[in-house]
Amino acid sequence: MTLIERKGSQTIIVADAELSVTQKPLHVARAVFSYLGELWCYRELLLTLVMRDLKVRYRNSVLGILWSLGNPLLMMAVFTIVFTVMTPSNIEKFPIFVLCGLLPWNFFSASVIGSIRSVVDNAPLIRKVYFPREVLPLSVVLSNLVNFLIALTVLFAFILAFQMPITLWAFLLPVVIIVQVIFTCGVALILATVNVFYRDTQVIMEVAMLAWFFLTPIFYPIDILPRSYHLGDLTIDVWRWMYMLNPMASLIATYRVILYGNGFGGAPPALDFFGRTTVTALGVFILGMLIFFRYKRLFGEEV
Amino acid sequence: MSTAIQFEHVSRRFVLHHHRARSFQELVIRMLQGQGNGRREVFWALSDVSFEVKKGEMVALVGANGAGKSTVLKLISRIIDPTSGRIIVNGRVGALLELGTGFHPDLTGRENIYLNGAILGLRRDEITRRLDDIIAFAEMERFIDVPVKHYSSGMYVRLGFSVAVHVEPEILLVDEVLAVGDAAFQRRCLERIDQMRANGTTIVFVSHDLNAVRRLCQRAIWLEKGCIVADGSPEAVVGEYATQSYAASAALAARRELCRHGTGEVTIEEVRFLDGEGRLRDFFSTGESFTIEMRYRAHKVIERPVFGIAIHRSDGVHVTGPNTQFAQYEIPMVRGEGVVRYTVPFLPLLEGTYYVSVSSHDRDSICMYDYHDRLYPFCVLSGAEERYGLVTLRGVWSWKEE
Repeated sequence: MTLIERKGSQTIIVADAELSVTQKPLHVARAVFSYLGELWCYRELLLTLVMRDLKVRYRNSVLGILWSLGNPLLMMAVFTIVFTVMTPSNIEKFPIFVLCGLLPWNFFSASVIGSIRSVVDNAPLIRKVYFPREVLPLSVVLSNLVNFLIALTVLFAFILAFQMPITLWAFLLPVVIIVQVIFTCGVALILATVNVFYRDTQVIMEVAMLAWFFLTPIFYPIDILPRSYHLGDLTIDVWRWMYMLNPMASLIATYRVILYGNGFGGAPPALDFFGRTTVTALGVFILGMLIFFRYKRLFGEEV
Repeated sequence: MSTAIQFEHVSRRFVLHHHRARSFQELVIRMLQGQGNGRREVFWALSDVSFEVKKGEMVALVGANGAGKSTVLKLISRIIDPTSGRIIVNGRVGALLELGTGFHPDLTGRENIYLNGAILGLRRDEITRRLDDIIAFAEMERFIDVPVKHYSSGMYVRLGFSVAVHVEPEILLVDEVLAVGDAAFQRRCLERIDQMRANGTTIVFVSHDLNAVRRLCQRAIWLEKGCIVADGSPEAVVGEYATQSYAASAALAARRELCRHGTGEVTIEEVRFLDGEGRLRDFFSTGESFTIEMRYRAHKVIERPVFGIAIHRSDGVHVTGPNTQFAQYEIPMVRGEGVVRYTVPFLPLLEGTYYVSVSSHDRDSICMYDYHDRLYPFCVLSGAEERYGLVTLRGVWSWKEE
């Protein structure tokens, strides 16, 4: 790992080969510190890229901002027709139930698919100009976050329209959103890196995201899955594994608890459960940062 | 801190993967076929390069393609990391690499200025302060609120250049970009670069245009296969480099037998360029003494042969075509070996690359004994004050008030 130190306007770049073994830990610490300072210096770029994404998205369609509301509404309508008319499922206020899962999922899915391509799509820029490459996937996640926040107003409109109470638990919403952003950023950083080296990652992930969508209780409650599954002598706790292996499942379950409850208003989430999800999200984020940090110096030659 | 850039024993290795899998699909197929991950080849783009650039210096990097010039620029701008060694850079680096990279087609010119400025490391208020200057320099007042996808390529480049120079970098990297845009804009770009140099900006300049290097830079570094061959005044370094590279290309050209034809009674064996002191040279300054020497071999006795030359400029303009007959210089007879010289005491050509053709034929121009079509290049670097056009006529000005 190359050490890059910045003192004021001076930049010192020292190749890894120049550092002795005893120097390394200290240098790594200094490198990480100056790297964080640099990310802070480029926060304007991150903001500008987010603004660019939003402007481009809303300028090219006549309906503009309405699309980010229309898409989840149409999907909600489809699921509502399927699950209340065609195969009735007896879920209280189904549109709200679905929106509570669909909106966070759309945020996650659009961020992941968008950020996978973000580094490769900006190849000319990467070959020509230096800037912390992290801003590319992160800006995709943040612009989708803005979109998500706009779409959330639809959900609140439905809650009011269905005369469902908004409880104090709804104030936990920002916390849940932050945890989801952290998790999404981690996944985005990992996949954007992989896609630089293996370009079919984006194709694979499109299929994988569809599978992930069905494996996450979005349009169905987790109750329809069996609690346990017997595989020979082994008893598998399906619910537990679902939540452990799929942070999106536990995130969406939390959204649903605090906003929808069982159709009669938000209820308290299980804090230990949400705490574990937070730890997982942070773990994925740190892993993503490390992987990106490790490989980004090769981007200049690989893209 | 008078040092702007310092390279200490910098090396950069590239690993070329000849058949590396570029997708998971390939990777899986490779594994099923039991192949490894392809052959690897190590290539040193730079090896143990050390140099220092002082603040406010304008330094040129010259060298053949693949000599490592662009690698040096990429290391300075941190696009790639060194494999070993240490690089110290004092000040913000700006690059005129490919202008307009990073523009988004759907955004307007104004929005792209903010975007590009942010990519180059500027804060929003810093861009706002420079906005009017950027628009004015690019002459884009009328189109600044139009999405850039509707711009012509010239407009694209103008706006890109304008943003890049108004970022006010302390160190500017220029990589062969001045060949874009119309002539008027090119001149303004050079003026702007000159102005930045006057204001103390350190400039690293990569160009194959040796005359621009001589005109603009105070120092030149010649790179060859990743090593520094020469480092010094542009006159000396460019001269040396030009001699070496033209000699190489002449040797290459001489092997092209296609450019040679004739019946072969009198063959021209060697063509050389000499200066006033009889020294072998391939580059000359306007106004110097210039001699073309051809060494011939007559395979039988030939009476009254004619030797001629032609000089073409690199763009194909036929500059001149003298021969011994036009000059009424009669060679009574040739047999065996000999030398013919054509001397110009004051070379009137202005800067450029020129190609010499030589011929030997009979006095009626019916039988061509040997003809070498534009096989011998030489280079003229500006020495006289005159700069525009092909030749200096050495005219005299006079003035009288009436």
